[in-house]
Amino acid sequence: MKRLITLTVNDQEYQLEVPAYRLLVDVLREDLELTGTKEGCGIGVCGACTVLLDGKLVSSCLTLAAKADGSRITTIEGLGKNGALHPLQRSFIEHGGFQCGFCTPGQIITAKALLDINHNPTEEEVKEWMSGNLCRCTGYYKILESILAVARA
Amino acid sequence: MATEFAVVGKRLPRFEGNEKVTGEARYIADITLPGVIQGKILRSPYPHARILNIDTSRARRLPGVRGVVTAQDTLKRRWGAFQQDQPVLAIDKVRYVGEEVAAVAAVDEETALEALSLIDVEYEELPPVFDPEAAMEPDAPLVHEDKERNIAMRINVERGDVAQAFAHAHCVVEEAFQSTLHWHAAIETIGSVAHFSGGKLTLWMNTQTLFMARHRVAWAMGLREGDVRIIQSAVGGGFGGKSCDDNNAMVCALLAMKTGRPVRIINEREEEFLAGSRPRVPMKVYIKMGFRRDGLILAKELRIIADNGAYTGKAAGILSVAALRHDTCYKFENVKTDAYLVYTNKIPTGAFRGFGNPSIEFALEQALDMGAEKLGLDPVAVARLNAAEPGYVSPHGNRVGSCELKKCIDEAARLIGWEEKQKHKVLGRGLGVGCTAHVSGKRHFGDYDGGSALIKVNEDGKVYIWSGEGEIGQGTNTVLCQIAAEELGVPIEDVEISTADTDLTPYCHGAYASRLTYIAGNAVKAAAAEAKRQLLEVAGESLEANPQDLEIQGGRIYVQGAPEGRSTTVAEAAYSRLFRRGGAPIVGFGSFDPDSQLSDQNRYGNESGAYNFACQAAEVAVDTETGQVKVLSYVSVADCGTVVNPVGAEGQLEGSIAQGLGYALAEGLTMEEGRPLNPNFHDYKILTMADMPPFQRDFVPSYEPTGPFGAKGLGELGMDPVAAVIANAINDAVGVRITTLPITPEKVLKALREKGKTG
Repeated sequence: MKRLITLTVNDQEYQLEVPAYRLLVDVLREDLELTGTKEGCGIGVCGACTVLLDGKLVSSCLTLAAKADGSRITTIEGLGKNGALHPLQRSFIEHGGFQCGFCTPGQIITAKALLDINHNPTEEEVKEWMSGNLCRCTGYYKILESILAVARA
Repeated sequence: MATEFAVVGKRLPRFEGNEKVTGEARYIADITLPGVIQGKILRSPYPHARILNIDTSRARRLPGVRGVVTAQDTLKRRWGAFQQDQPVLAIDKVRYVGEEVAAVAAVDEETALEALSLIDVEYEELPPVFDPEAAMEPDAPLVHEDKERNIAMRINVERGDVAQAFAHAHCVVEEAFQSTLHWHAAIETIGSVAHFSGGKLTLWMNTQTLFMARHRVAWAMGLREGDVRIIQSAVGGGFGGKSCDDNNAMVCALLAMKTGRPVRIINEREEEFLAGSRPRVPMKVYIKMGFRRDGLILAKELRIIADNGAYTGKAAGILSVAALRHDTCYKFENVKTDAYLVYTNKIPTGAFRGFGNPSIEFALEQALDMGAEKLGLDPVAVARLNAAEPGYVSPHGNRVGSCELKKCIDEAARLIGWEEKQKHKVLGRGLGVGCTAHVSGKRHFGDYDGGSALIKVNEDGKVYIWSGEGEIGQGTNTVLCQIAAEELGVPIEDVEISTADTDLTPYCHGAYASRLTYIAGNAVKAAAAEAKRQLLEVAGESLEANPQDLEIQGGRIYVQGAPEGRSTTVAEAAYSRLFRRGGAPIVGFGSFDPDSQLSDQNRYGNESGAYNFACQAAEVAVDTETGQVKVLSYVSVADCGTVVNPVGAEGQLEGSIAQGLGYALAEGLTMEEGRPLNPNFHDYKILTMADMPPFQRDFVPSYEPTGPFGAKGLGELGMDPVAAVIANAINDAVGVRITTLPITPEKVLKALREKGKTG
């Protein structure tokens, strides 16, 4: 059974007809070709597919697209304005907050959600908040550094 | 010496940073082609079974299915890195849970999955064997009928006089250790996109070894190597797991060839655990080590039983590293090793960062610690006493050039506060130390361990490197750009590097054995030197100077020592060399093959052109009520020669620690009858940001004369001794020695209880 839904993704409105079982990650990646959102585990553990749904973090691999009907979604492609990088994006580059880069969109989206509600988090708060985003390359030290640099700026 | 350099040694941002932070980088699952269809693989539910019949007729009839393949559709060729024993799709029998039995390609994923459920396979279960030692028993079931006692390989080597040396030893320690399966758990799984057209197979892969993948795919598919083109996508983490030892690309290629359509297969996470990246080789290690009164190692005897799993992959090379490599870290004279690689009905094991070192060092570095303890000596002093030095030649022929291991030991001890903390012991806290030696490339795929690169200088002065080695996240492309910029004397912003592509770049072995900074770096440096020679020749004409008297800095060419005098630019030189009668572009080719040796029949030979060293130390606190181990601080100090990019180099040590601590303390899956019980990220726990301890890392000053600007390898070093360092620290804290991985609270508690009973 297909459903007609409306999603506002990165300030752009889309009307889509999707099967009831279709996942948000697939709609974003395949239907809207926003492939910056990644799928790593399929069970909402690794955080690579994290997007903001009405300002809140969700695992798009666990979220039904139909359930997101009417909501506003921010993906990595929605960060930065007028071709300029978001401060977090700049900081991840400057501090080496990524290696392979596969988890990076999810890391940056998750960090943005933290800084949106807490402008000056402590190191412990960042660690706790970010612990739902797995990274196998960096050991997290430079991700932490990248986020704290923006928070302290 | 690093201060002399303009670009090398600078904290430069990553070459591909922008595309990675914006989500623009194209990983394998982001690559699509018009008309691409989805491939899915039917996997064995049994660890060992005969295939009596496969009926694909119902699957073929399902609307939307474009192709169904079994072994009958293959050439039935077996393939593998060192021993060709793995089929593309199971032939006659399956040997592990997850093995590829059949595959379908369909218009979408749902249809492909439904088609899999319509394939009827009739199996006859066979008795499986899971424990490698049991597999060596005369009456054990055979995984491969032609492999007696399931032995895939044996290394039996004695150097010096081991019996005599043990007889003279003041102290002898003996213990058995067991390491475990350890998955790469890269956040991106393995995947491929294949297209077969006009007799040519094009494969997009997230592989770290493109040309080796080409060789294996061509062989298995019966194509000429030149008729296979492999293009590297962005790679979401490799660590050895994406070096094409699995069947993902093979099945994808087969489906593309059979259907005539582009096909994509991306492993699900569960598939990645069952039959994707080949996990670290578990080893049972029986070790005996003899010491002089002052802690000098006199003799070592090893018996290693390594779990190959169902097919060989890279485990053969890994066994040789486990058997021999550590003798490059410390000065050994009398060593005896009897090492076996044994087939079992489990996932084939293989290359994972460290390549045999972490498995063996878990035993060796603990044995050294046990010796120090028994002799009442400081383990740091014992490590220092035995540490390799420049000029040391291991009993197996490894020739140590640059080596600052002693400095690494001193620095690690200083950073962790060793002396101070040993003087003022705190109950339940302890310190551990461990060292390692690694290679910068290893000569084991035939008698060639070289690399090549091409560099062109565009008419606007922009420099372009063609390299087929491949970026897998480790930062190689940035390092190679820095080396080219340094050699050419151009700004780093003017240097760009290609995607790895077997049709467009010279042959390159790829990313393994910590080889790229050293080997690809030297190749790029040589290519840049040749391009520079061509540039200076042209510049000499316009500046009316001898090319030998010219130099380039910041893209400007002028007479040495006279930067204010007449000058031209790289752009002008490149332009003027091309746009003239009989002109030509500036293109430099460079090649490098290190002065190493392929080991002989007796396993003797200098395996690498340069050796890298590290020392690590940890402080842990052990809760004797719960068995919990808390890492209070960790220190990792490396000798990797010149550090080309400090941000990247630090990242290698930092990432290694996260993987190493996971290996030591957390990672593992419960196996039941050869099947991992919960092959997912819920149950296979890799560390999170909140789990990471305070960490200090450092690089000792070092210069490798044969390396590019003094550099050598680094990628795996930081992973090697971690599990042993933690085990040694636990022993120092609470006096129990944990001999099996991972070191869970249950094991610590059990050991504490046993110690309480006896002691």
